[in-house]
Amino acid sequence: MHTHVSWAADNLVRAAAPARSAASAAVVVAGLRKNYGAVQAVRGVSFTVEHGEIFALLGPNGAGKTTTLEILEGFRARDAGRVEVLGFDPGDRASGRAVRERIGLVLQDIAVEPYLTVRETIARNAGYYPAPHDTDEVIALVGLAGQERKKVRNLSGGQKRRLDLALGLIGRPDLLFLDEPTTGFDPNARHEAWEVVRGLRSAGVTIVLTTHYMDEAQALADRVAVISDGQIMAEGTPSAIGGRDTARSRIRFALPEGYTAADLPLNAVAGEGLVVVETAEPTQALHQLTRWALQRGTVLGELTVDRPSLEDIYLRLTGHDAQMEGSTR
Amino acid sequence: MSIATYRAPRRDLALLWHQVRYEQLSFWRNPQSAFFTFVFPVVIIIVFGALFGGGGRSSYFNGLSALQYYVPTIAAVSVLSACYSQLAIVLAMRRQNGILKRVRATPLPAWTYFLGLLAHCIVVSAVDVALIVVVGGLFGVPLPTHWPALALALVLGAASFCALGVAVASLIRNSEAAPAVVQLVLFPLLFISGTYMPIHSAVLNRITGALPVRPFNQALLGPFAQHSGFDWKSLGVLAAWGAAGAIVAIRRFRWDPRPE
Repeated sequence: MHTHVSWAADNLVRAAAPARSAASAAVVVAGLRKNYGAVQAVRGVSFTVEHGEIFALLGPNGAGKTTTLEILEGFRARDAGRVEVLGFDPGDRASGRAVRERIGLVLQDIAVEPYLTVRETIARNAGYYPAPHDTDEVIALVGLAGQERKKVRNLSGGQKRRLDLALGLIGRPDLLFLDEPTTGFDPNARHEAWEVVRGLRSAGVTIVLTTHYMDEAQALADRVAVISDGQIMAEGTPSAIGGRDTARSRIRFALPEGYTAADLPLNAVAGEGLVVVETAEPTQALHQLTRWALQRGTVLGELTVDRPSLEDIYLRLTGHDAQMEGSTR
Repeated sequence: MSIATYRAPRRDLALLWHQVRYEQLSFWRNPQSAFFTFVFPVVIIIVFGALFGGGGRSSYFNGLSALQYYVPTIAAVSVLSACYSQLAIVLAMRRQNGILKRVRATPLPAWTYFLGLLAHCIVVSAVDVALIVVVGGLFGVPLPTHWPALALALVLGAASFCALGVAVASLIRNSEAAPAVVQLVLFPLLFISGTYMPIHSAVLNRITGALPVRPFNQALLGPFAQHSGFDWKSLGVLAAWGAAGAIVAIRRFRWDPRPE
């Protein structure tokens, strides 16, 4: 084709770009600050996202998640700090097109031209990228097969979000930003979306997502950062963040009839019908408790042993632990 | 440097054509825009044709027949609605819905997006003007004689009113207010600029001569009224308004519905 030469040149540059940024991470954020007037929305946020991993930003509304994401996406200017996306500064207009050819994004709100069909909408955006995916493949991937000829205005809310995901993927991105990707999905659709995201990671795509859902972060993310009040409160794998892996276990059970917490062989706290024993040695503690019960010919009803969930950690880190502990005691 | 350096101009041209095709598709599929922008001026010229079709030349219409006067002025209305009104309303709406932000997130260069819109508007205007000329012809209005002058006036007018449309879209915050603001400016301006009846007040003509609509009418009336040559003065005023609109658009245009 007549564009052969330019395409070859593009491919050279595209091939060279990851090599140059291979030394650094896919995303680097250091000391990022952003104010809206007197409000400090982002106050010195730092994190890095390695190539090929799924990184989740967890945090309450207004914590600075979306502002941080929008600075990475090039929609907003930062006030201070260093930001690197695939080796480029997203605030630099000169490299804007080169970065946008390699990133995809799915924003929170749904916005698509109402009068085009699903296929036309995706094919239009495919034309914007140098090496897009096949339109029909992407339609099948997001689960819109059979809806290709439907006008966008006639799609359901969930179908529009799938279309939005398709638009994020069509350009064959190296890095994908997902801002609350499954909000409003029914449980089946969420699990399907998770499968798509895992599939993308297997294909080598780096993914940065924000979410409110702890199970989503737990199911998808390689690493999680909890952001609150414009600051990163903790960062780590979902199973170790906030000291989850080293935290004390909690043994909960119903106190047998006729006994008080003081009769137990271990220190226990009574709350809402159940007593809670916190321990660093759950094997030992369980043995003592069950022996105590068996010797008295009784049982420990509703017995459970658990570690703090990701949600417990999240609530503690985002300043809602007072309420949580109040309800346990 | 950026990849853009390596890009062959042909690929950018292909991208522009791609963009125009999808703008056309969005436009013709939307019954509201297709009707108000496209059908409305044609309906008006048919009504005027039925009303004034048989009339001869008169001094009231500056020595033209009524329809000979109205074919160019209604052609101007069709360009105004296809470029100025349509663009201001569509862009304000696309921004509010977040569609513009999505466009910004793709590698599509801003200039390709706007050039695509301009080309789209010129195509719609050209088809509309052609239809109006044909309807005029059916009612006995002779074809324009100076085609280069007509083509230049149409392209310059379309470009200038597109720039003004983008400028207005840049100044309006709220997309619900867009149609009202657009009509509030345009409707009185059409009347005092002689679109629906010739204005014989020298003072008023001097004032409207410095505003964008009357110069456009004059630049189109020339070729239709069998004058020869280009109306450089009117074209100059039109170009100045276009440049002013472009400056406002470039400085104030926003992709994001929310303030920074």
